[in-house]
Amino acid sequence: MHYNKQPTPVDAVVIGTGAGGAPLLARLAAAGLKVVALEAGRYWNPAKDFATDEKAQETLFWTDERLSAGENPLPFGSNNSGTGVGGSTLHYTAYTPRAQPDDLMLRSEFGVGEDWPWGFDQLESYYEEVEQLLGVSGPSPYPWGPARKRAYPLGPLPINGAGMLMQKGCKQLGIRTSPAANAALSAEYYQEGVGYRHACTNRGFCQAGCTIGAKASMDVTYIPLALRYGAQIRPESFVTQLIKDPSGRISDVVYSRNGQEERQRCRYVFLCAGAVETPRLLLLNELANSSGQVGRNLMAHPGLQIWGEFDEAVRPFKGIPGAIISEDTHRPQQADFAGGYLLQSIGVMPVTYLTQMTRALGTWGQDLKKAALAYNHVAGINILGDCLPAAHNYLELSGEKDSRGLPKPRIYFSNGENEKRMTAHADTLMRAIWEAAGAKNVWAYPRNAHVIGTCRMGMNPTTAVVNPDGQSFDIPNLYISDNSTFPSALSVNPALTIMALSLRTADRFLTNNKRL
Amino acid sequence: MEIAYPVGTVRALMATDQVTDATRRALTERLTTETQPPQFFSNYELNLLRTICDRLIPQSEHHRAIDVAGGIDSRLAQGKSDGWRYDDMPIDEDTYQLGLAGIDEAAQKLFGQPFQQLSDTYQDQVLRAVQQAKAPGESWKKLRADRFFEELLAESTYHYYSHPLAQEEIGYVGMADVPGWQRIGLDQREEREPERSK
Ligand SMILES: Cc1cc2nc3c(=O)[nH]c(=O)nc-3n(C[C@H](O)[C@H](O)[C@H](O)COP(=O)(O)OP(=O)(O)OC[C@H]3O[C@@H](n4cnc5c(N)ncnc54)[C@H](O)[C@@H]3O)c2cc1C
Ligand code: SF4
Repeated sequence: MHYNKQPTPVDAVVIGTGAGGAPLLARLAAAGLKVVALEAGRYWNPAKDFATDEKAQETLFWTDERLSAGENPLPFGSNNSGTGVGGSTLHYTAYTPRAQPDDLMLRSEFGVGEDWPWGFDQLESYYEEVEQLLGVSGPSPYPWGPARKRAYPLGPLPINGAGMLMQKGCKQLGIRTSPAANAALSAEYYQEGVGYRHACTNRGFCQAGCTIGAKASMDVTYIPLALRYGAQIRPESFVTQLIKDPSGRISDVVYSRNGQEERQRCRYVFLCAGAVETPRLLLLNELANSSGQVGRNLMAHPGLQIWGEFDEAVRPFKGIPGAIISEDTHRPQQADFAGGYLLQSIGVMPVTYLTQMTRALGTWGQDLKKAALAYNHVAGINILGDCLPAAHNYLELSGEKDSRGLPKPRIYFSNGENEKRMTAHADTLMRAIWEAAGAKNVWAYPRNAHVIGTCRMGMNPTTAVVNPDGQSFDIPNLYISDNSTFPSALSVNPALTIMALSLRTADRFLTNNKRL
Repeated sequence: MEIAYPVGTVRALMATDQVTDATRRALTERLTTETQPPQFFSNYELNLLRTICDRLIPQSEHHRAIDVAGGIDSRLAQGKSDGWRYDDMPIDEDTYQLGLAGIDEAAQKLFGQPFQQLSDTYQDQVLRAVQQAKAPGESWKKLRADRFFEELLAESTYHYYSHPLAQEEIGYVGMADVPGWQRIGLDQREEREPERSK
C-alpha cells in the first residue's frame, strides 16, 4: 500500500463537496481548522471545459452503475446525481425555496411520517445566511410561509415562456403564482473569495452546468471561500474505507487517486457523499449501523411533470428553467393525503425532453419526428411533493461489482398510497392549468426526484443513524451532512435546506468541541 | 416529411463566435465522425440494429444519415453506463445482444423471415409487438421485451437528437449562447433563432 506522507492527522476530512459538504468545509476552515476535502469527481473550469451541449456535459453525472428496483425504479445518472468539485450543484436547476415550518412537523400534523428533532427556528438564520452568500434572486415579500426577516439579496430573474404560460393558466383557475427564488444572479454580485460574479444571461442550461458562474453551484461559492480560509481540496479522490482505531473512532480515511491507494489521518470525518454513496460507504465498511437504519427510510419526491404544445413559440431552453412557482398547494383543502407539494414552471433542453417523452409515451417513428418538431413550442409544469418513508423503500449492497470492483448499490422504490394520491391530485390540477393556458397534446411524465433519508437524523439511537447535530450515534468522531440525514422529505427542492443544515452541523460541531 | 426549419442553421452558427470553443469542439466531433466498423457488435448485429433504429427514428432526406447504431456500438465497446439499470434487466451488453436476437426470432415466428428481409410495415409490427411485450420467442423469456424496447428507444433518441443535424431539423439553436438571450418571453425570437415555415 502506498501511504500519503501525512504523519500528523488533519482536524477534519470532508468526503464529498456538494451541497452538504462545501458549506461546512468553508465554515470549519474559517474557524481555523485544518481541513481536507476528498472528492471523487474532477475540478472543472466551467468557462473552458463546459460545452453548451447535453451530451458533452454528461461528465458531470455520477455514472457508476446503480440497480433500480421496486415498482417505480428511480433513474440515476443524469436524473439524480452528480460528481465533481461542487457535487450535484454543478447541474442542479437552482430552485431554492425554503421549507415551511410545518414541513418539519409532518407527524405532529398528520400522524404519519416523521418530525424533525428540532424546529424551523433552527434553520431560519442559516437559510438567510446561505441565500445572502449565494446571491439568491427572488421576490420580497415572498407570498408563502412565515414573513422573511430579510429580503432576497437580488430581485427575481426574468420570466420565460413557460413561466408566462403558468401565470396565465393559474390566473384563470384562481391559483396564486410568484416569480420563484433561484440561486442564479439577476445582477452582478460580489462574492467573498471570488470577486464579482456575472449575472445570468438566460442560457437555460443550468442542468448541464453554468459556464459563466451566474448559477450558485458550490464551485463558485462555498468552495472558493473554503480555499481562501486554507482548506485543501483533493479532486479525483474516491474514498473506499474508513478505518477505526481500537477506541472505536475513525483514525484514517483511505481513498484511491490516480489508481494509487492513499490514506489520510484525521481527528474527525464529515461524510457528505450524497444519499446513495454515504450509506453505501457505511454499509461497505460495516460502520455506524447499530440501528440497522443505514440505507432505510429512502424517500424520493413525487415530481410529476405535465407537458404540452402551445400555438405560441416558447423555445424552452431560454431563461432560468424554474421561473414561476406556486405554493398554494402546500396544504390543499380537502386533500386525501398527508403533506403537500409546490408547483413550478419548467424549461427543458431538447435531448432531455425527447428521451423523457420516449420513456413515458413510447412514441417512435414518424410520430416521434413530429413531436420533436414541436420542441420550440413546448412548455412544462411540475410538482415537488413530500414523500413518506416506507419499509419497502431502501438501499442495499448487491452481489454485482462495478468497474471499481465494489458492490453496486440496489435501490428499491415504490410510491406508497400517499404519493399516489398526491400525484393524482396534481395530475388533475396541472392538466387544468395547462388547458387554461392553451396547451394541446398534453402528456404526463411520472417521476420521483431526489434521493433522501438513507441515514436518518433523530433523537433515538435505535431508529436513527445520526443525532440532532448530525453526529453518528455509534462513532463519535463521524458526522454526516447531506441529503441522507433528512428525517422527512419536505415539500420543497432540497439543496437550500441541505446547505443550511450543513452550516448548522458545522456550528454544532464547533460549539460542542469548543472550537477543538 | 416536409422541412419545418431551414437547413444549415446550426452549422452556420458553429462557425461564428456565438458558440464557445468547448461547444464547437463537441459538436464538430459529432458532425465529422465517420461511420465505423463495429467494435462491440458483429457486422450482422450492427446492420440489424441500424435497420431497427431507422424505423424508430426515420432519417431525414435533407441531411446525411445520423449513425445512431454506431453510437450505441461505441458506448457498449467502451463499457460506459448511463449510471443505472433496471434491476430486472441483464447487463447492457447482454440486453442488446439478447434483444437483437429476440427481434429476429420474433420476425421469423410472425412473418417467416429475419427482420431485415421484412417490409417496413411488417418490421413495424414486429417492433410494436416487442414494445407491448407480445413478441413471440424464447429470447423474451430471458429479457423483458417492453423494457428492452424502452431502453433501445430512449438511447436511440438520445444519440439522434444530440446530433447537430437533428438539432437543425427541430430548429434548436440553444448552443449559440455566447451573447446570452434577451428575448425569452412567449413568441419572442432573436435574430439567430430560425423560424418555422408555415
Ligand atoms: C438534474 C438535477 C436538477 C436538480 N435541481 C435541483 C434544484 O433545482 N433545486 C434543488 O434544491 N435541488 C436540485 N437537485 C438536487 C440537488 O442537486 C441535490 O439534492 C443536492 O446537490 C444533494 O447534495 P448532497 O450534498 O447530498 O450530494 P451531492 O451534491 O451529490 O454531493 C456529493 C458529492 O460526493 C462525492 N462523492 C460521492 N461518493 C464519494 C466517495 N466515495 N469519495 C469521494 N467523493 C464522493 C460526489 O462526487 C459528489 O460530488 C437537482 C438534481 C439533479 C440531478
Ligand atoms: S440560465 Fe443563467 S444560471 Fe442557468 S446556466 Fe444559464 S446563465 Fe447560468
